[in-house]
Amino acid sequence: MAGGNKPAKADKSNAAAKSSKGRKKETGLGLTNTKDGNFGEWYPEVLTNGEMIEYYDISGCYILRPWTMGIWELMQDFFDPEIKNMKIKPCYFPLFVSNNVLQKEKDHIEGFAPEVAWVTKSGDSDLENPIAIRPTSETVMYPYFSKWIRGHRDLPLKLNQWCNVVRWEFSNPTPFIRSREFLWQEGHTAHATQEEADTEVLEILELYRRLYEEYLAVPVVKGKKSELEKFAGGLYTTSVEAFIPNTGRGVQGATSHCLGQNFAKMFDITFEDENREKAMVWQNSWAYSTRTIGVMVMVHGDDKGLVLPPKVSSVQVIVIHVPYKDADVKEIISACSATVKTLCDLGIRAEADLRENYSPGWKYSHWEMKGVPLRIEIGPKDLANNQVRTVRRDNGEKVDIPMTDLGEKVKEMLDDIQQSMFNVAKQKRDACVQVTKTWDEFVDALSKKKLILAPWCDEEEVEKEVKAKTKGETGAAKTLCSPFDQPDLPEGTLCFASGKPAKKWTYWGRSY
Amino acid sequence: MGALRLPSLTSVFSASSARSSLLLRRSNHLHVRKLTSTTKVFANSSPVTEVAPPPESNQKQSSIQEQGITPRSQDFNAWYLDVISMAELADYGPVRGTMVIRPYGYAIWEAIQDYLNLKFKETGHSNMYFPQFIPYSFIEKEASHVEGFSPELALVTVGGGKELEEKLVVRPTSETIVNHMFTQWIHSYRDLPLMINQWANVTRWEMRTKPFIRTLEFLWQEGHTAHATPEEAEKEAMQMINVYTKFSYEEAAIPVIPGRKSRVETFAGADRTYTIEAMMGDRKALQAGTSHNLGQNFSRAFNTQFADENGQRQHVWQTSWAISTRFVGGIIMTHGDDTGLMLPPRLASVQVVIVPIWKKANEKNEVLGAALSIKDVLHSAGIKVKLDDSDQRTPGWKFNFWEMKGVPIRIEIGPRDVSSNSVVISRRDIPGKPGKVFGISMEPSVLVPYVKEKLDEIQLSLLEKATSFRNSNIVDVNSYDELKEAILQGKWARGPWVGSDEDELKVKEETGATLRCFPFDQPQGGPKKCLMTDGPADEVAIFAKSY
Repeated sequence: MAGGNKPAKADKSNAAAKSSKGRKKETGLGLTNTKDGNFGEWYPEVLTNGEMIEYYDISGCYILRPWTMGIWELMQDFFDPEIKNMKIKPCYFPLFVSNNVLQKEKDHIEGFAPEVAWVTKSGDSDLENPIAIRPTSETVMYPYFSKWIRGHRDLPLKLNQWCNVVRWEFSNPTPFIRSREFLWQEGHTAHATQEEADTEVLEILELYRRLYEEYLAVPVVKGKKSELEKFAGGLYTTSVEAFIPNTGRGVQGATSHCLGQNFAKMFDITFEDENREKAMVWQNSWAYSTRTIGVMVMVHGDDKGLVLPPKVSSVQVIVIHVPYKDADVKEIISACSATVKTLCDLGIRAEADLRENYSPGWKYSHWEMKGVPLRIEIGPKDLANNQVRTVRRDNGEKVDIPMTDLGEKVKEMLDDIQQSMFNVAKQKRDACVQVTKTWDEFVDALSKKKLILAPWCDEEEVEKEVKAKTKGETGAAKTLCSPFDQPDLPEGTLCFASGKPAKKWTYWGRSY
Repeated sequence: MGALRLPSLTSVFSASSARSSLLLRRSNHLHVRKLTSTTKVFANSSPVTEVAPPPESNQKQSSIQEQGITPRSQDFNAWYLDVISMAELADYGPVRGTMVIRPYGYAIWEAIQDYLNLKFKETGHSNMYFPQFIPYSFIEKEASHVEGFSPELALVTVGGGKELEEKLVVRPTSETIVNHMFTQWIHSYRDLPLMINQWANVTRWEMRTKPFIRTLEFLWQEGHTAHATPEEAEKEAMQMINVYTKFSYEEAAIPVIPGRKSRVETFAGADRTYTIEAMMGDRKALQAGTSHNLGQNFSRAFNTQFADENGQRQHVWQTSWAISTRFVGGIIMTHGDDTGLMLPPRLASVQVVIVPIWKKANEKNEVLGAALSIKDVLHSAGIKVKLDDSDQRTPGWKFNFWEMKGVPIRIEIGPRDVSSNSVVISRRDIPGKPGKVFGISMEPSVLVPYVKEKLDEIQLSLLEKATSFRNSNIVDVNSYDELKEAILQGKWARGPWVGSDEDELKVKEETGATLRCFPFDQPQGGPKKCLMTDGPADEVAIFAKSY
């Protein structure tokens, strides 16, 4: 494991003591770390043992294996048609950005410049001007917006691209959550009015919420970012925020920005309105990345490995034959194949693992590690009773179901797993929410890894102060978002940090 | 060769404002090109005329309407660039040799992806994603590979404000990183075959670029597989070139010639390279896809071994295969005509465009109403349909515009059609009256099957046309003189060949033609005399000028 997280050694021995029971003697499978015992080591271990990623010689770059791409593609299958319905068009802009273009928007470049990777050579020769690799594409795309948009009939211009981006960060790379190269979609749109732009920001945010809650079974909070945390160069930023109870960290799940007219001004993106007046466009940009997958793993994974929500698992049901001595193996195998076929015909993603060089026990552990939502075991007794044994990955529940209504029952079970994974995650997340009204309460809650909801005066300086005062080994606390769904804020409520009159409720915490 | 040298980024963005710099770029763009009628469009003071002139500006509108794009017959290269620009397929990128793929162009790529992705999965491949950055030391491991690619490598040496310890290559192709990982994943014969694919961008720092055909960065899929035996690897390499061939014929209506590359033209690091060669409208050849049998070259370099059933350690046998956005250029240059783009129905993102026609305000509602219901009927039948209901343009302008965009079928509907409950249907591939049929009933039970049948007919007819064009431009030759003559006429030369690498290079130097492939489809009747050496040749080879 070159690169990546290398937690302190003290942690390691500690974790080993706590977790030795995790690895199964008979199969050699399993995890050496536990989620509660040593989350920092458990996470990379579950990703590599679950065959989602592989570490690579370049720190912060990971190989995304088929198990990951399956999840990513299923998410795309949901999201891409949704945005196409919104008349957002696919396109592809170059990976390479010239320095001049990158520099165009001052705040923007200040935000990204420290993270840029530069191509300085081609073959053996030095480039006259180094060329940047896109950290995001605002500055690549907007000169073209300027070129393509002339009249109000060219609006709205709504584009999306699926691509890789590169941010050469040095702080602790974490697979999916913070990697130097990642995959994402980035949407970029231009509108004639702010109202139209505002509406789209929220429509996209709702898609992100659905992606997390309905597909990844991860509860999120929709809200608005503080001035300090908003997108560099934008007007305002909305986000869906998830929470990882084990580490007590918030994680920005996806963002939908209203850029206002700032970029339009810098890139001269104007149009002639219906009254033939020259006007500047209103712009949005929005993105979700492979980070979504990391959040899902962190929320649902357990000491046996990954736990995948059925909707994003490329294998929803794994069928395993359990041949006892003297049993008619052929018949069992053909029952397995028939079961797979029945399920596949119903649109369920089912596969059989009929390898003979592995024992059923090994296979159970293997597919549990990979997080397949439902396992079906078929042995001689099941065959005799015309039934199959099902085992749920999320709660271990074992139920025998008759072959006759196999399809229907499995469908129901998958739906139930999806819903109950969300419910469990939500319950855990909700249990972490703590309302704090004073600084002391805040500090206490922070030390207990809570997701803090506090009345706030909404002043940039105050957030900076909170950051400075909570700065420690595990990072400073900051605002996550001000939820759209605001609890009552009785008049006279004071800001937990400044003591000034509070303007809103805001979520705070340490974050990824 | 006519390849366009794009302006450097300094010249593009040295001006103070983005817009003026874009204009500057455009004028640069003109200087390097021969002056053609397109220049009128580009030189027009308002840049908007490139595709969609604002209605208030009749004069600009006429630039498309009257001047149109450079006729293909007049200047193929200028025509190609005009089509790309005016059909809104792509735009030049901000860095020399890069391009922006616009929605209409990207939709073609998506159609290619949809088909191939399914075929790859059906043939047992899984998708993955490998990092874009490859340590330079990886590339050096396979000697001929690094030799082939090193002049074109883009290197990252600075990241996050710091000089990197090892320079990183922006992937030109992924064999090296794939093998690095295969070595860790493959232990025994049970881990084989390992068959993966990735959809990714790759970078090759080419000097002479042309949109879609050769760009610094392009999109592609690259398949990589590892097998236990050479037979299996060979079978896989052939299977994938066959997938590409079938795709070309059935979806893209391009009659490619599949075959084997000569040693000289074989991929850097491969034992054998299979290719599909397509004839473009200017009769130049385009290598539209390749499949390589890598043998054990990479597995030896990266020590990718497995324990066979007897416990013996062996190096794996590998393949890799790819199709890129270059294929989009191939579609444009195969089917396009003087009017513009012509898309094969199976890859067209708009298969049918409906143009409503009304003169008086009171006609508008009923015509639009009928057009809308036709749209719904076709849409729910799974046909990709667009209704152009804007009232900013005349029907005539719309006809020209959608013809230029290559939409296979146009449905016209006016007040008289509404009252007779019928429509007029025009085929893009048959210009003018002959391609126009009046009085097709609007009844879904009539219209839907009719349109579907026409789409199939167009698909087939594009393939037939391209095939007869191809066939009439391949000359069988038996001597070097005959080869030279054929190449001089701009044709492909096919003849018996056992020449050496030097002979092949001599042909290239003297005629500009390269050995495209030894086609799989070989003439009957035993060995013939090599056109160059007079020695007995078992195979014929095809020579042609190429992109």
